[in-house]
Amino acid sequence: MSEHEEDVSHAGLDSIDHQPAFIYTPRHNHNDAPIEPPAKRRKIGTGRRTTSASKSWPTLQPNPTNFEPLLRGVESEDCIMLRQELFQKCWSETDSRIQSVLEEANDDTLAEVTNLVNAPENLEISDRLPASFIVTGPNIASQGLLFKQLSTRLRVEVDGPVVVLRSGDASNLKAILKQLIRAATNQGGHDEEVLHEQDGRKLLYYDLEILRGYVRAHSHKKVVIAFQDSEGFETSLLVELITLFNSWKDRIPFVLLFGIATSVELFQERLTQSASRCIYGTQVDVEQSSVIIEKIFQKAVASSGATLRLGPTLLSTLIEQQQSYVQSVQSFIATIKYTYMCHFYGNALSVLSDTSQGFAKSVKRLQPFHFETIRMLPSFQKLVESKVEGGERIRPRELLEEDAVVLEEVEIALESKEKDILRLLRALHVFRQATNDADGGIEPYMTIFEGGLQESDYLNRMLTSIKGMAPNELIAFTGRIITAIEDGSPAMELEGWADEDQIFLSTIQDIKAKIVALQEQAEGNGTLIRSSEVINSKSMRTTVIAQRVEMARQKSSLSEAERDFISLIEKLTTLLYAYFTLGNPQDLFLHETWLCDSTDSILEVFAPKPRTAIEEALLAPNAFINCEAATDGDGPSATQPPVAILYQRYLEAGSLINMADMWSSFLEIVAGDDPEYNEREGLMLFYRGLADLKLLGMVKQSKKKTDHLAKVSWRGI
Amino acid sequence: MASLFSLPNEVILSTLNTQFPCRNHQIRALATLLAIRGAPSRNIVLHGLYSTGKTAITKALLEKLSNTHAQNGVTNGESHDEEDQLRYAIVKSAECISGRHLLEQTIGAVAQAISWDGDIGRCENLAQLPVSIGRMMEKWIKGEEQPSKRRLVLVFDGIDQQRETPGTLFPALGRLGEIIPNLTILYIITSPRPNFLHLPGVPHIHFPTYTKPEILSIVSSLTPTPSLPSGEPDTHAVWQRFCPAVYDSLSKHSGRDILSFRTMCLTLWPQFIAPIIAGTYYPTPFSRLLVANKALFQNNSVLVPSIVAPKPPSTTKTSTNTNITKAMTGPKLPALATQLPFHTRLLLLAAYLASFNPPRTDILYFMKSATSRRRKRGGGTALTKTSAPKNRKISRKLLGAQAFVLERMLAIFRCLNADAASHKRYAQGRGGENRRVGKDGKWESEDPSGSADIYTAIATLTSLRLLIRMGSVSTGDVLEGSAKYKVAVGWEVVRGIGRSVGVEMEDYLAE
Repeated sequence: MSEHEEDVSHAGLDSIDHQPAFIYTPRHNHNDAPIEPPAKRRKIGTGRRTTSASKSWPTLQPNPTNFEPLLRGVESEDCIMLRQELFQKCWSETDSRIQSVLEEANDDTLAEVTNLVNAPENLEISDRLPASFIVTGPNIASQGLLFKQLSTRLRVEVDGPVVVLRSGDASNLKAILKQLIRAATNQGGHDEEVLHEQDGRKLLYYDLEILRGYVRAHSHKKVVIAFQDSEGFETSLLVELITLFNSWKDRIPFVLLFGIATSVELFQERLTQSASRCIYGTQVDVEQSSVIIEKIFQKAVASSGATLRLGPTLLSTLIEQQQSYVQSVQSFIATIKYTYMCHFYGNALSVLSDTSQGFAKSVKRLQPFHFETIRMLPSFQKLVESKVEGGERIRPRELLEEDAVVLEEVEIALESKEKDILRLLRALHVFRQATNDADGGIEPYMTIFEGGLQESDYLNRMLTSIKGMAPNELIAFTGRIITAIEDGSPAMELEGWADEDQIFLSTIQDIKAKIVALQEQAEGNGTLIRSSEVINSKSMRTTVIAQRVEMARQKSSLSEAERDFISLIEKLTTLLYAYFTLGNPQDLFLHETWLCDSTDSILEVFAPKPRTAIEEALLAPNAFINCEAATDGDGPSATQPPVAILYQRYLEAGSLINMADMWSSFLEIVAGDDPEYNEREGLMLFYRGLADLKLLGMVKQSKKKTDHLAKVSWRGI
Repeated sequence: MASLFSLPNEVILSTLNTQFPCRNHQIRALATLLAIRGAPSRNIVLHGLYSTGKTAITKALLEKLSNTHAQNGVTNGESHDEEDQLRYAIVKSAECISGRHLLEQTIGAVAQAISWDGDIGRCENLAQLPVSIGRMMEKWIKGEEQPSKRRLVLVFDGIDQQRETPGTLFPALGRLGEIIPNLTILYIITSPRPNFLHLPGVPHIHFPTYTKPEILSIVSSLTPTPSLPSGEPDTHAVWQRFCPAVYDSLSKHSGRDILSFRTMCLTLWPQFIAPIIAGTYYPTPFSRLLVANKALFQNNSVLVPSIVAPKPPSTTKTSTNTNITKAMTGPKLPALATQLPFHTRLLLLAAYLASFNPPRTDILYFMKSATSRRRKRGGGTALTKTSAPKNRKISRKLLGAQAFVLERMLAIFRCLNADAASHKRYAQGRGGENRRVGKDGKWESEDPSGSADIYTAIATLTSLRLLIRMGSVSTGDVLEGSAKYKVAVGWEVVRGIGRSVGVEMEDYLAE
C-alpha cells in the first residue's frame, strides 16, 4: 500500500519542480479558439486503484505457534494446538451466531426504508424533497453497520445510485459535493467515462450537472443520499445541501435519508425554517441497542450451543458497563470475544471445554501436569470435601494421589456436564415463559448461574402470584409452561424436551386438566371459583347498631370446588418449587473449564483510567521506577524525574503559578545540601520538566500575569 | 417602416394576469422594460420578499415574449414581431456553489440560450465573463441584418444569496450591458441595498407581499382535495368561508406569506371537513362547523411546518388526527433521557450547569465544606433589598449558554455523580435486590473520574452536537482540560434528564 502511494506521489513530479524560475513561452492564439490556460497537473485514478489495493490486503494467516505454551512452558505442542483449534472453532461459531443476530436486527428497518424509498407516492409530493428520518438512538457506533446494510440493500432494490455521506468525510460544501458525485457516478460497475462536459463546456467537479447527466444517461428513477450521522454535520452545511438538492429536485430525483441519533424534534430545531420547508418524510425507528444486546445474549451466551458460559459476576459487570457508560453492541461483542480469548489463551484446562466430538480425544491428551492443575481447582477441593463428608475414605485419597482416578472423575464430570447445563437452561426458559418475562432474561440467567434461584425474589414473586390467580389465569399460566417444554426455544437453540421430562410435564398437564374441569363445572353451576388469595383473606363486616359501629370478622365459606382448586394450587406450587430448585453450577466439578467468571482484566482492558494512571505515576514515581521517595516524610526527592518533582509542587500551587517560586523550590529539591551543585544543569532539568508538563496538557501560558503559568488540570477530576 | 416603440401584446399580458392575479402592475412594468420594441433597459432589478411571485412571473413572461410563433396569429400591431428575437437565460444562484461556478453557469446558460454550437471554453474570473459572452453575442447578432432586433435577457435569480461572491461582481455585471450590446440583465433579489450596482437610474420593480384581500382571493380560487360529498358548489362555498377563518385565527400574525398560508389551509382542510364527511354536521350553518372545529384554530403547531409525516394510516384509522393530538398532548419525557447511558446523562447535566452557572457560584453550589448553602431558596425579607441595583442584571437563562473549560465541567460532574450515586443507592434499597452488587464491590465504588469511558462519553456528546466545541477545530486537543465547550440543549430537556437520574436541576442552578 505505502509503496503504491509512493508511486502515485512521484507520478506528478516533473522537471519543472526543480527549476528556480518558470519561463513563460506565449503561444499563438487563434481568434476563435478559447484562451486555455495550461492543463493542471493532477492525480488520476487514485481512487479506484487504492480500493483494489485494499481489497488485496493479505488476510492474517493463522500462525501455528500463535499461542504461548502454558504451565511454565511444559505444555505439549499438541495441547497448544488443540487449544488454538478449539478457540477458533468456538469463537467462529459464536461469532456467526452474533452476526446473524446483527443482520436480522436491522431487517425490519431495512425493509421499511426500502419501501419508503421505492414508494410511488414520493413522487406525488412534488413541492418537497422526500426524506426518511432513521432514528438510531445515541449509539453512534451501530450507525455504521446499519448504513452499510442499508446501502447494499438499497443498491440492489432501488433503481439508481445510493450514496452514504459521513460528517467526517468532508467539511465544506464543495468537498462533499465532489465526494457525492464521485460516489454516485462510480456505482453500478460501469466503467465508461462519466460525462464531465456539457455543450463543449467542462464542468466543475462540484457541479451537480454531472450527476444529472449520469442519471439521465442511465435513466435512473431515484438518487438516494443518506446522511449517516446528521448531527455530526455542520448545521449550515446541511442546510445548504438541503436547499441545493431542493433546487435541483425537478431534474434529479433525490431521496434523502437522515440517520438521527437524538430525536427528530431536536434535528428540526437545528435546521432553518427555509430548509425544513424543503423536506418532508417519515420517521423510522431502529431497534434499540439494549434490545439487540439481549438478543445477542440469548444467542451467544444463553444458547445451548455455546461452549463457554459467562458467569454472573462477569455478566453483571458487562451490563453495568453498558448501562452507565457506553451503550454499544460492538463493545459488548468485543468483551465476549475477549472472554473467549482469555479462556483459551490462559487456561490450560480449556482443552476440556469442548466435548461436542466426544471427550475421549481431549482426555487422551491430558498430561501429568494437567492433573496437577486439576488438583489446584477450587471445584476439585469441593469434590474431595464432599466425598469426605459423604463418608468415603479411600476415594479422596486416591483422587489426591492417582491420576487415573482423577481421570475417571473427569470423565464422569464431563459426561454429566452437558446434562447439567441443559437442565439449567431449560429451567431458565420455562421460568421466563411462565413469568412472561420480556426483558431478555439476563437477570434470571445470572441468578440461576449463581445457584440462587430457589431463594431468589423472582421465584418468590412467581409463587405468590400463582396463589392470587383466578382459574382462567392459571390455565393460561400452566399452558405457557407446557408449550415452553413442548416447543423449546429457537432463540436459545433449545428443542422441545417433552419426552425427557415426562413426569413433570404430565403432572402439569394433569393439574391443568383438573382446573379446566373445575372451571367448566363451575360455569355449569353458575358459580364462581374465587382465587385462593380472596378466599383466605378474612372479610370485615361492619354493622351499625344503636349508633355504634361493630366490626366482626367473618371467614368466608369455601365451596367444594374451591377447596379442590386450592389444593391444586398447593400442588402446583410445590411442584414448581421443586422444579426450580437447581444445583449451583459453581459447585460442579470442573466448572472452571466452561464457566468464565473472572472480571479482573476485563475492567482494565475495557474501562481503562489513563488520566488516573498518569496522575498516580507522577505523584509517586517510586512505586513504578527505580527512585527514592523523600526521606523525611512526604514530598519529592532529587532522584525522581524532574516532571514528577514539578508535578508535586504544581499540585500545591494555586491556579496561577509563579515561575520564579517554582524554580527556586525545584532547585532546592534537586540541589539538596550540595553547595557545588551546577545550577545550569538544574535549569535544564527544570525546563525539561516544564515541557513535559505542558505536553501532558497540565499548564498553559497565561495572559493574566507575566512570568506565570496557568494551571489547567486538577488532580482526581 | 415599423414603429420604433410598441407595447407588448395585450393578449400575453391578459393571460399572465389571469395566471398571476393581483400582479397586473408588475407584469406590465416588466413587460415594457423587457420587450424589444418597448423600453429595453440594460439592468432591471426585481425585489420583494419570499413568495411574492418574482421568479415565476419573470419566467412566464420571458417564455411568452421569446415564443414568437405564438404571437403570429394575434398580433395587434404590424406583423414585424416575428423578426424580433428575444432569448433568455436564467441562472439560479442557489445552484451555484462558488463565484466561479456562477460564471461558468452563466456562460453555459448563455450558450444554450443562443444555441451556440462552438467551443465555450472556461470562465475562471470576472474579467473573462464579458469576453466570453461578448464573443458569443457578437456571432449571434452578426447573423441578423438588423442587430437591434435581437436581445438576450440574462436573469440572475437570487443573486444576493450567492456564495463566495467576489466584491466586484455587482458593479461588473452592472456595466456588462455597456460593453455588450443587446443584453439585458435582470436581478431578482429580496431587498436591494441602495445603489448596489453603482449605476444611476436602474429601474427597480417592487413586488410587495400580498395583502389580505389579495391572499384570500387567490387561495379561495383553489379547489381543495377531498371535496364534500354534497357536491362541488358546496365545497367551494365552505372553502371560501374557511380560508378567511384560517387567516384571521392563525395567519394574521405569523406566516403571512401566500405559500405557507396555502399549505396551512390545505393541511387543515381534511380535518375541518371530517365532521361533515362523518355526517355529524352539515355544510350550511358554517358557524356551527367552526365551533365544532374550534381546537383546530387554536393550535399553533401548524404554523411550524413539520418535517415528519404522520405514521402511515395502517396503524390507526384516525391517522389524520394523530398529528394534531400528539402536538397537543405536549412534550413527553425526552427520548434522550431513556437512551443515553447513566454517566453520559450526568455529563450533559454537568455541561448545562457549567454553561449556565457563573463560575464564581461554583463554590457555593458544589463545595463539600458548606452544607447548608446548597438548597438556596429565594425568600428573604422585605428589608433585605432596599434599592434596585444600578445596572440591571439579565438572567443567565436568557443570555444563552456560555462557554466553559472542560476541567470545570468534569469537576461539576464529579460532584453531581456523588449526589446521583447516593440517590441510586436509595432507590436500590427500596427496589429490593433488583440490582446486584459486585462481589468485591469494585464496580460499585462508583468513581468514574479519570476513566477513558468518561472521555468517550464527552466525545459522543460532542459528535451528537449536544456539546459544542468552541474556538477553531484545529487548535489543541479535543479532550484537553482547557478546551472550551458550550452546551446545546435547552432547559426542558435537561430537567427531564435530571429527573431520570435523580438529580433535581433546580437545586444547582444559580438564578
